[in-house]
Amino acid sequence: MEKHKEYFLLCKKYKAQLKNKKLEIPSFQLQKNGQLKIQQMAFMLIAVTIFFVLVGMFVLAFKFSDLKKTATDLEEKNAMLLVTKLANSPELSCGEAFGTGKTNCIDTDKVIVLNKKDYEGFWGNANIEIRKIYPKTNGEDVVCELNNYPNCDIIKVSSGDLSGFDTSNFVALCRKESSDSGVNDKCELGKLIVNYKSTW
Amino acid sequence: MVNQKKKAQEQKCGIFATMPKKAQEEMVGFAVIIVIVAVILLVFLRLTINNSQKEPVESYEVESFIQSFLYYTTECKDVSGNSLSVQKLIFSCYSREICEGADACQVLNSTLKGIVDEAWKTGENSPTKGYELKIDSEDGLSPITLKEGNITKNYKGSMQEFSKSGNTINITFTAYY
Repeated sequence: MEKHKEYFLLCKKYKAQLKNKKLEIPSFQLQKNGQLKIQQMAFMLIAVTIFFVLVGMFVLAFKFSDLKKTATDLEEKNAMLLVTKLANSPELSCGEAFGTGKTNCIDTDKVIVLNKKDYEGFWGNANIEIRKIYPKTNGEDVVCELNNYPNCDIIKVSSGDLSGFDTSNFVALCRKESSDSGVNDKCELGKLIVNYKSTW
Repeated sequence: MVNQKKKAQEQKCGIFATMPKKAQEEMVGFAVIIVIVAVILLVFLRLTINNSQKEPVESYEVESFIQSFLYYTTECKDVSGNSLSVQKLIFSCYSREICEGADACQVLNSTLKGIVDEAWKTGENSPTKGYELKIDSEDGLSPITLKEGNITKNYKGSMQEFSKSGNTINITFTAYY
């Protein structure tokens, strides 16, 4: 404590001397201090630069490893958008054939005669399938052809097989049914499945 | 010797007199760097966490499900021999009508049960853990409720309202996952 006081007084005295007598600090001392500061700053700059480079490299590595997932997410999003709009497209929708305009309604009579070759690639790189959910025809899933329609469960809108990931949406599957009382409308519950072939 | 000591002490004092200000500056600089790095890390973390993940049940699925089952053609026929859709059968049920010997509400219940059970399969291994379908009318007649599975914190629901002769009917469907 005593030593500190003595040191403080000495410093005060020296400062006063500096003020009054305008003592000059030797030039070699200034040079040494300046060099030290420049060196300190240079080290700091190098350290900061290295740090940011490392952070940048980490971010880049992370982003590039995530690129595959981003592409898959994008394809999935496209499939989702397609599945929500497809049922109301003129190629599949019921239109006015079953009374007033219905949303999420697919005219299966129209779909079964749709020429698949003409629509190849029309909806992008996607496989489209319509699956009857209720009531089921048999225990097994029967693929619809012109000769077994309407006693079937799956209508393939595009020729490819389902692989990878898919998105689905509920739709009403409506058709005209002839009976003793004449031609009646018959609607069942189905699912529209859009499947995307992954490009990765 | 004494002079040398004095000189050394003077030099030391000169350095220490200016030290607190410099140290403060360096501390501020260091703090600024830390703040910048923290902000960058926070933005990066937010971007990483915010990546949307696909949910087992989507809102549009629930919405389209209600719309679709309303068009479903039931076994119930009206006086002219035309099969009724679920939407028409709901009104018949609330009007206490009878279709081909069976009560309209009974046909509606069994039809809806069959549809919902097939469309939303519930269970441990299924993405859907449970569902609830509620049909109620504005005039307070007995509501129709179908429930299956467990009620969880995650759910997606939709409601559809339609009216006939001043009677409004609300259909609410909730899928739990």
